[in-house]
Amino acid sequence: MIRFALTRAFLALVTLLTVSLIVFTLMELVPGTCAERYLAFKNTSGSQISLADIEAEKVRLGLDKPFLTRWGGWVYNVFVHGEFGDSCILRLNINQLLADKFWISLGICMAALILSYAIAVPIGILSASSSNAFANNSLRFVSYLGLALPNFLLALIIMLFSTVFFGDSLTGLFSKEYRDAAWSWAKFGDFLSRAWLPVFILGWSATAFALQTVRALMLDEIGKLYVTAASARGVSGGRLLWRYPAKHSLGPVINSLGFDLNRIFNELPIVALILTLTEAGALLFESLARSNDQQLAGAIIFLLTASIVGLNFVTDILLALIDPRVRRGLMG
Amino acid sequence: MFTRKTATAPDIDQKAKEAYFTASQGQLIFARFKSNRTAMIAAWALILMILMGLFAPFLSPYDPTIAGRNDQYENGAPQMPKMWDENGFSWRPFIYATERERSMATNFRWVVKENRDKRLYMQFFVRDWDYAIFGVDFTAFGKQVDLALIRSNLHLFGIEGGKIHLFGTDASGKDIFSRTLHAIWTSLAVGTLGVVISFVLALIIGGVAGYFGGWIDSVLQMITDAIRTVPSIPLFMALAAFMPDTWSSETRFFFISIILGLIGWPTLARRIRTHLLTERTQEYVLAAELCGASSSHIIRRHLLPSFTSYIIVDLMISFPYMVRSETALSFIGLGLKDPVNSLGAMMQNVSKADVLLNYQWYFIPVFFFIALVLAFVFVGDGLRDAADPYSDNKK
Repeated sequence: MIRFALTRAFLALVTLLTVSLIVFTLMELVPGTCAERYLAFKNTSGSQISLADIEAEKVRLGLDKPFLTRWGGWVYNVFVHGEFGDSCILRLNINQLLADKFWISLGICMAALILSYAIAVPIGILSASSSNAFANNSLRFVSYLGLALPNFLLALIIMLFSTVFFGDSLTGLFSKEYRDAAWSWAKFGDFLSRAWLPVFILGWSATAFALQTVRALMLDEIGKLYVTAASARGVSGGRLLWRYPAKHSLGPVINSLGFDLNRIFNELPIVALILTLTEAGALLFESLARSNDQQLAGAIIFLLTASIVGLNFVTDILLALIDPRVRRGLMG
Repeated sequence: MFTRKTATAPDIDQKAKEAYFTASQGQLIFARFKSNRTAMIAAWALILMILMGLFAPFLSPYDPTIAGRNDQYENGAPQMPKMWDENGFSWRPFIYATERERSMATNFRWVVKENRDKRLYMQFFVRDWDYAIFGVDFTAFGKQVDLALIRSNLHLFGIEGGKIHLFGTDASGKDIFSRTLHAIWTSLAVGTLGVVISFVLALIIGGVAGYFGGWIDSVLQMITDAIRTVPSIPLFMALAAFMPDTWSSETRFFFISIILGLIGWPTLARRIRTHLLTERTQEYVLAAELCGASSSHIIRRHLLPSFTSYIIVDLMISFPYMVRSETALSFIGLGLKDPVNSLGAMMQNVSKADVLLNYQWYFIPVFFFIALVLAFVFVGDGLRDAADPYSDNKK
């Protein structure tokens, strides 16, 4: 078991390194460099700049070094010191800038993930096993509607309704009085009273995929002989479903939770943009699409991928604890 | 001596059984699919929408580009043809003529009024602007190539001495009905292109990983997983940053489809690989190998047929996600932009408060989008159930 965990941890680390290379390359593709942006800022504040200034700034930031050296330096700082450097535009330390915001985003996404499976697992099992066509179809219809309704539209409509009926647009993550306050229980409660909306929207739209997966896996398992054998021995109803096919079919689902988190996070910036949430998804969009802030965008993407890899690692270990076949490497 | 055999009940049963046992995989899947009512309804809806998209130029009365705009009817409400009103009945459907006025009384804003005394009658099969179905025109080797399957200027309907807007018009007076039909086709085309690209990639990468296994599989899996881990929104954004503003809408369109395809493959590749890994160790493959069949023969004749149905299902399932990505991209302003008629570009207009409160007919394309996605998902589910060999002995 310990050997399995160590191998997995090593593999996760390798994946993380590969991903960091991809992220770093992506950030290089963003037009312009950090040095130019520093100096563009100086230019707006009145002082003249020349090409020589840009070169000097590049040397100061170490941008003249070869690509791989810079990547190595970045990775070293991130892995050893947990330090992402300064933002190109905001000129603030990224760790300070992100601190709460990233955790809020991760929290919202995780909550949405849990919500989507809380809906998808029971409906998926029901849909695979029940013969009540009407209930089956209507439940599936509602779940798939989350995919079909574009999430920005859903957010807008809910905002409009709540503005008309409650006089509060539900935008933002905190009420005015808590915005700059330190974290406390009251602030947390206020946060929850608003965070349910993005969680609901993201969770509903992720439900369709989760449901399709659960339903497909469940249908694959439910027709197998061991289920027939179990029912022949007199196991029936919910006990039959839970003890046998559900247990087997949920393995691959748990295995891919990390990628589901990724899918949910992809939708976050759009929802955050409309609900004007001040969290990392909106910040990522801002830094990529508007201000081209490579350092900040890279940090956010890397943190996200690290949480995905982390989640995958945890689910791997969990699965191995439950299922001996995984431990022996018989399953994917 | 021959006695005439009359078809008895057991005979029919026998025939049905015979048909069942000799049917090919495809026939079996189709038969199972047909017995699934929900999926059949979804399939008909889907076929209807695809046909609507394909024959969009024929069905739409006006050019969906700025050339077909009605400058006398901007942000105009939908007009429903009537056959009956307080002035009596008419065999030919009609709408009312509209007049636009701007004066002190209307606060100097254009206000459209309908004149209920003046009827405009509908005409069918009118000749108007030219179009081509399945048309491509491009310049190759210095020559202008212009190909099309059907070329015509015939349209299903129009109106005598005026213009009809079934779904209203947008801010520049373009007909939303015509735009919606063309948008369905654009979105389907982006989705198809994206699915095809990701499918080819998935087939090659997943196929190689699954068939050869071992260290090749491990390395390819690691790369696939790494790509799946990177969130696609920043990937889109970084790639879209390459897209210069000077590109024409067609170039942008191809670029978007290619990006969607390049990002969509890992999930599909993983499925193909898993399937190949399990199939490869089956007895029939071993039997073929022992008979001396070559690798390529086994892949072509035994392995590929064993999972074509799965592939079709997977493609069907990934389609709505592609269409949805296109709309999401268009929404954040990185995809197709307004003059292009795609469902995403049209939905972008809906998100303005002004539209939400005053011009609700902008929402009509959204319903088409919802219907399209739902139809795809339900057809995908139906196909999946039909392709499942165990589905018969389930109930």
